[in-house]
Amino acid sequence: MTSIIETKDLIRDFKKTRAVDGLTLSIALGELFGLVGPDGAGKTTTLRLLAGLLDVSEGDASVLGYDLKEKAESIKPHVGYMAQQFSLYGELSVMENLQFFAELFDVTPKDMAERTERLLTFAGLTEFKKRRAVNLSGGMQKKLALACTLIHEPEILLLDEPTTGVDPISRREFWNILTELHLQGTTIIVSTPYMDEADRCSRVGLMYAGKLVECDSPKNIREKLEGDVIEIQPEDWQKALKTVAGLSGVREAQTYGESIHLLVDSGKRRLPEIERVLKKEKLAYRSIRIAPARMEEAFISLIRKLEA
Amino acid sequence: MLRLHSAQVSLRHIWAVTRKEFNHIVRDRSTLILVLFTPTLVLLLMAYALTVDLKNIPIAVLDFDCSQTSQAFIQQITAGQDLDIYAYATSMEEINTMLMRGQIKAAVIIAPGFASDLQALKGIPLQVIIDGTEPESGNFAVEHILQRAEEFIDDALTKQLRAQGISIDSLQALNLRVQTWYNPDLKPRNALIPGLISMVLGFPALSVALTLAHEREHGTLEQLLATPIGRAELLLGKIIPYIIVGLINVIIIPFLSISWFHISLNGSFLLFFGLSAIFMFAVLSMGMVVGVFMRTQAAALALSFLVIFFPGFFLTGIFFPLASMPEEARLEAMGLPGTHYAIITRGIFLPGVGMDVLWPYAVMMLGLGVVFTALAALFFRKKLG
Repeated sequence: MTSIIETKDLIRDFKKTRAVDGLTLSIALGELFGLVGPDGAGKTTTLRLLAGLLDVSEGDASVLGYDLKEKAESIKPHVGYMAQQFSLYGELSVMENLQFFAELFDVTPKDMAERTERLLTFAGLTEFKKRRAVNLSGGMQKKLALACTLIHEPEILLLDEPTTGVDPISRREFWNILTELHLQGTTIIVSTPYMDEADRCSRVGLMYAGKLVECDSPKNIREKLEGDVIEIQPEDWQKALKTVAGLSGVREAQTYGESIHLLVDSGKRRLPEIERVLKKEKLAYRSIRIAPARMEEAFISLIRKLEA
Repeated sequence: MLRLHSAQVSLRHIWAVTRKEFNHIVRDRSTLILVLFTPTLVLLLMAYALTVDLKNIPIAVLDFDCSQTSQAFIQQITAGQDLDIYAYATSMEEINTMLMRGQIKAAVIIAPGFASDLQALKGIPLQVIIDGTEPESGNFAVEHILQRAEEFIDDALTKQLRAQGISIDSLQALNLRVQTWYNPDLKPRNALIPGLISMVLGFPALSVALTLAHEREHGTLEQLLATPIGRAELLLGKIIPYIIVGLINVIIIPFLSISWFHISLNGSFLLFFGLSAIFMFAVLSMGMVVGVFMRTQAAALALSFLVIFFPGFFLTGIFFPLASMPEEARLEAMGLPGTHYAIITRGIFLPGVGMDVLWPYAVMMLGLGVVFTALAALFFRKKLG
């Protein structure tokens, strides 16, 4: 596998903080790489560095073989970058935004006509092409922003939380588009706060305090979770939560709607113990079982371990 | 081919930015109103505020003589619109009260024996009291009264001499005439307005100074910097629409000055238009230099006032003559496009001079424009944060 993005001990300092602290990362051609981590972990700074929008403070980084310190401008025609917040021109129409970026990326007029049509269909924006971007819904704005970053058919896509603040249906549509692009061979790096989205990536990097603390396939990350998850559906989850949270062997207690997920050191050993306590306390429950760990539990447990 | 930052300048890139920026100006109504009408508004405001023609100054008259002659004299000094009689006082105390209350700006006291003294050619016993807290009005009143009094005495003298059979022509001893060129009635407006025109036409520089910070604050700069656009392309593309809007003002403002203030344009309008285009380029590039350094619109606004507007006000020779400035200030003034443009505007409006006189100023403006653009492109970095 050829790697097209390489960073080594990459550091980016701001006045008072070190946003990226010794990041070493290698991304191969055609990967769909998910960047996860709590707020302030350095995801946005990493993506901006890779897009050539910030100066490298220390360390090395290259994209498509171009050194980011020397040739940041050379990578721009090959990269599609989508900022976290809406950053298109509100007073321009959907079509005018697409044309604007097409012209700046030197797309020929012939290609431009063909691609705008295709991207508008792709993003479901054909009937809104004359509408000003400021008057689009949040989800449509995100899709337009993606369409604008795709207009020059970039080899690398850098997407900073592209689905934050988007309704679930638009979110699914968005990911269908990303999957399609991934299948066509585009290398995609996407940061996301949603663990179900991280699960759809070919590889996930977990950032914490400017460092890459974990980098593996979603399956391997899930398996790195030490212990098991016990899922309980109690009648009164508030009382049940108080009772089970402090039991020995329980590392974490999280609620999902009316069910409780307990992260325990050993499922087989703790399940009978917990059942016994619940019965003793006369707390009724509909079901209790050992459940497969999800990305979310793995993520939270990893972060807790780092914070401790 | 112009090469900057090892990238060729693409006209398509510039044109894309120009169109986008133009759409922004036209579609955002407040921006449109700001750039189109601020110069007009400021011109009207300043032209009126700075050239108040004094008239209808209230005065009081205290006539101790109460003769036909003194009545005729009062009529003479209050003819026209310059002075208005607020009251006929009967005592000095009354005059004192009216002055204290600010009801009158001056008082004329005609002493007893006014008519007989005039008759005897002894001059006239006349006292004028003015309110020193407002010297402009008071001085104006004194000048006016003195002038009218001289006329009055002249008339009286002439009549008496005629009555004695002496020809008036033989009395012409001295004939001093002052000739004022270009602004024959010495109306302050005629001289001031061309200067003001040169100042208000520089206003779009403010909008240019704000445009980069505006994009930074709205987050659009982030997406823009991720494109391969060249620095000079971006800056030029942003300046051009404001040059166009500025040139619309170059038509509106002289039209307004001619039709509203009755200023005459003695030189060629085409020359004025052409040199104004060069001025736009220079002053907007200057605005861009400010914009490149400031991160927020508020900061860009503050710096624009500091480096563009206040020097434009005090150093360009519009209000204070360049010749009376210290050497350093004059040198600084030379670095402002407005200084050269003020000379050009006055030159074309008043004496109506042409390119044979104005070319050095045009060259200076062009040079400053190129220097400012180069500075802006040099210091502008395609980076966030």
